[in-house]
Amino acid sequence: MLTGLVLAVTATACGSPHERRDDAHAAAVRFEQALGAGRTAVLCAALAPGTREEVEQSAEGPCDRAVERDKLPAGGAVRHVDVYGDQAQAVLEHDTVFLAHFDDGWKVTAAGCEPHGEEPYQCEIKGR
Amino acid sequence: MSRDGGADHRGRGRARGFLYDNGLGLAFGAAFVLAITGQAIAGRAEFNSELITDGLQPMGFLAYLTSSDFAVDVTENWQSEYLQFFLYISVTVWLVQRGSPESKPVDKAGPESDHDQLTGEHARPDSPRWAAARDWRQAVYSHSLGLVMGTVFLLCWFSQSVTGVASYNERQLRQLQDPIGWAEYLGRAEFWSRTLQNWQSELLAVASMAVLSIYLRQRGSPESKPVGASHSTTGVEG
Repeated sequence: MLTGLVLAVTATACGSPHERRDDAHAAAVRFEQALGAGRTAVLCAALAPGTREEVEQSAEGPCDRAVERDKLPAGGAVRHVDVYGDQAQAVLEHDTVFLAHFDDGWKVTAAGCEPHGEEPYQCEIKGR
Repeated sequence: MSRDGGADHRGRGRARGFLYDNGLGLAFGAAFVLAITGQAIAGRAEFNSELITDGLQPMGFLAYLTSSDFAVDVTENWQSEYLQFFLYISVTVWLVQRGSPESKPVDKAGPESDHDQLTGEHARPDSPRWAAARDWRQAVYSHSLGLVMGTVFLLCWFSQSVTGVASYNERQLRQLQDPIGWAEYLGRAEFWSRTLQNWQSELLAVASMAVLSIYLRQRGSPESKPVGASHSTTGVEG
């Protein structure tokens, strides 16, 4: 009963787990499509504020020029998405993308990520 | 006194009687609501501070109330409290503590006779019906307190594991690490650290209460022996 209540409350709080996973999945797909099409403005808009800030700071220039210069590898199709609370991980054919939920939807916090054993993924772009 | 005044007086008497008769449950219920509200406020502030540090969006109060971070902090404490009562109820059937008001008399260890427990043919007219039954109902009712406390403990512990893995994985993703499954989480240090840090404090509290109440008194408290009772008196509450 208690567990059911906890799960029900958690599930209904901000949409069902399926809806959240679908939304995160769609955000990852949009990010990859923008990457493939070279639409840098869309790509930058898909980044979380902290990640975009880091990209601009490390490039010492605007985001769209930075992502154009440091081209991310194409990730391919999304294989699966895990969502926990406001955080998500999308595993693609050739990439792993991390996302976080904001008021205006899911945003990419890190992309171009490679596993690094027990340590955090090493990512081409990431936030703080 | 007018008729209305008399009715009013009786109404106030009934209201005062209800509050007086249920003071313990009401006071602790109210304190519980205040404490869990305070926990939610402080927990959200701490959680949001972590999110802001990571460059993420802070969480609203309602969203925090339904988050796995809040749920695991609540359930890890609940399970240990119900475990404490379950153990205390069950273990005190068999184990005694000479001189403690928390223990029954030392020669009474065990489930005791039907005569002592007012069960079966020894049930009184005002005994619960299942106490007088001579079948499974008496067996169930005889252990109902421990069964309910034990079941609530297991449910809370299970809830802790479910909300715990969700909270753990949310943190893993924030730190750009892979999430793990529920079974793997049960073997992780975090699950056992959360569990055992609560168990040890509950067990210490029970052990110290059982022993300190041999020698120390709290006048008027049913949890203490009468002030003048000897240290060797066992199973007498004041």
